[in-house]
Amino acid sequence: MNKIFSTMIWIAVALLGAGALAEIALQRGESLNAIWFVLAAVCCFLVAYRLYSGFVAAKVLALDDKRATPAELHDDGRDFVPTNKWVLFGHHFAAIAGPGPLVGPTLAAQFGYLPGTLWLIAGAVLAGCVQDFVILFCSIRRDGKSLGEMAREEVSKRGGFIAQLAVLAILVILLAVVALVVVNALKSSPWATFTLAMTIPIAMLLGIYLRFVRPGRVLEASLLGVALVLFVVVAGQWVADSPSWSRAFTLGGLAITAAVIVYAFAASALPVWLLLAPRDYLSAFIKAGAIFSLAAGILLVRPNVQMPALTRFIDGSGPVFAGKVFPFCFITIACGAISGFHSLISSGTTPKMILRETHARFIGYGAMLLESFVGVMAMVAACAMQPGVYFAINSPAGIVGATPEAAAATISNWGFPLAGQTMTGLAQKVGEITLLNRAGGAPSLAVGMAQIFSSTIGGDRLLSIWYHFAIMFEALFILTVLDAGTRVGRFMVQELGGRVWKPFAHTGWMPGILLSSAIIVALWGYFLYQGVVDPLGGINSLWPLFGIANQLLAAVALVVATTVLLKMGRRQWIWVTLVPMAWLVTVTMTASYQKIFDPNPRMGFLAYANALAAQIAAGKIPAAKIADTQRLIFNQRLDAVVTVVLASMVLVLIVEALVQWYTLLSRRREPVLHESPYVATQWAPDFSGVAHGDD
Amino acid sequence: MRARLNAGRRMLRSFWQGLREWCGDAAYERYLRSGAQQAVPPDCKLTAEQFYVEQLDRRYSRPNRCC
Repeated sequence: MNKIFSTMIWIAVALLGAGALAEIALQRGESLNAIWFVLAAVCCFLVAYRLYSGFVAAKVLALDDKRATPAELHDDGRDFVPTNKWVLFGHHFAAIAGPGPLVGPTLAAQFGYLPGTLWLIAGAVLAGCVQDFVILFCSIRRDGKSLGEMAREEVSKRGGFIAQLAVLAILVILLAVVALVVVNALKSSPWATFTLAMTIPIAMLLGIYLRFVRPGRVLEASLLGVALVLFVVVAGQWVADSPSWSRAFTLGGLAITAAVIVYAFAASALPVWLLLAPRDYLSAFIKAGAIFSLAAGILLVRPNVQMPALTRFIDGSGPVFAGKVFPFCFITIACGAISGFHSLISSGTTPKMILRETHARFIGYGAMLLESFVGVMAMVAACAMQPGVYFAINSPAGIVGATPEAAAATISNWGFPLAGQTMTGLAQKVGEITLLNRAGGAPSLAVGMAQIFSSTIGGDRLLSIWYHFAIMFEALFILTVLDAGTRVGRFMVQELGGRVWKPFAHTGWMPGILLSSAIIVALWGYFLYQGVVDPLGGINSLWPLFGIANQLLAAVALVVATTVLLKMGRRQWIWVTLVPMAWLVTVTMTASYQKIFDPNPRMGFLAYANALAAQIAAGKIPAAKIADTQRLIFNQRLDAVVTVVLASMVLVLIVEALVQWYTLLSRRREPVLHESPYVATQWAPDFSGVAHGDD
Repeated sequence: MRARLNAGRRMLRSFWQGLREWCGDAAYERYLRSGAQQAVPPDCKLTAEQFYVEQLDRRYSRPNRCC
């Protein structure tokens, strides 16, 4: 009886989800309520978790709770720590959810709400969650080994080296692109710049408190820090209202670029307890609070989505970034659907803390579902605003013009009515000088969030506070990614340098720290600079590059996962990882080819470089701008080379894997699986971890 | 009534412990309780301050925050 009842409930959930998806996909011409997005996502995710992840756990991976996990075998209270599954879910989610699921869907909204929403839901269920879950499982079975180590052992030595290089390359591009989002959010905004600048002394104050006053008391320090950060959000308004202070904090793109680069260098070279870690604590609390508030706000306000299901820009002529809906929607939204970077987290800290193998389903698959839900919320926030406003904020000046009137005329011509006064009025309401040409996704998401929050609390009176709270929240955790990433990059550079000269690899040696920090900062700083000076808006070239790099890493992870499944003798189930891998390789290779060779200068790196070179040759560029233009030409060619290198590395790995798969499938070689030996667990079946073990 | 109060208290306590575990507030206590530390003489264990710094250095030397 219970089983029949349960089946009926699941059928009802599935039907509700299908109905909501149909409403989203088929509704045309009338505004659609955001509640349909929430229903579609929640129902699809519940059914996918119950059925698909259950199938992967039971049939494909055959998770075994009687097998001891690395946390039990190597429990040292440091890296290997048996952790309650809810706590570990929180850890894992906080680690995988960065700015990507917020920024990617906001940018992809230029195609309309439909392609991005469908990709977020389908991509997460069939690809992203599977990748995170399977890689987590593989790492648990290998004592918590990293993706690079697993690639080296299970695929080939070259595979491991390629994975390591791919990680470094992705890190460089990732850091450049997230820094660009921050620069575009802060430029000409004294309020936002002041608020974010103040988070540095606040973080240092917390660092000193946590190190010397109350060592390790993170909770009380973070609560104090959150209160101070909320205070400086409000205080930012006083700064913006004061002519002298406002002048001091009104910075252009290049000045903010320099400040961000100096900050990241300092955060990488300074002791981690002083700046990086306390900022991370602050960011984690504010991130959790803001994401929860956004979801609650959408449920309470239930705004109507004003963006059409599909816009004219699916043909590739989009102002935010150039490229057709296929393949560019699928690389613009990486985190939220599938992100290769997650495989580094799934083979990092989490497998060393997991209590039982079956928890991998809840943590690996479940946390990614939650991240995808955040992505759907970001899509709703971006699409709930007037489409003309969305395009005015996200389009570069080179396309829509630099004044409100010019932008309004261009955007109205595209079929999205907009008055110049609308943008001026909105900028005044949110306390900004201008909201035009802020490509990057952060300001438009902040406007969307502020409109939702202010509909719940405060109305128009608090719009400016909510806007700057949202900007602070986005910028704060983008900077956390930036400083933590720079530090990790520094370690990678030191490791690589250590192969040439051993002392360089010593992580406590100050000249090595300074030099490696400078190298990694120079690498991503150059790409950032290139994005800031690009007249087409750096997002147009950098975000696709980042998407390609990230999705190629996901392809690497899925190659490793497929190889492991084959070696485990699960050949009938390899489609679980093989199909998403094939899709990602198709998408990323198509995008790479188009970004390099497309004849449209807005699209192809080489075409843009050639068009600029032709302009110089024809004498159309003023003498004063020739040097800048030549630098632009070099940058475009550099981007083309980077794309070729990334795609080639992954192709080499895939060829190596194909050879190995052929020998395994044709039984020319016995599979050698590098799993740790089986050890039976000593824990009682109801043991739930140290956190609650002594209740 | 008392049973409900107790259940509520247990739930709150559980939430509080979970929150402390999640944010790292209870990391040092967990380190002292860990299996490997049971056999270590008390004067050889790290102090709260040493543990805090050592833990941060390890955590931030590998990718721990995604995009």
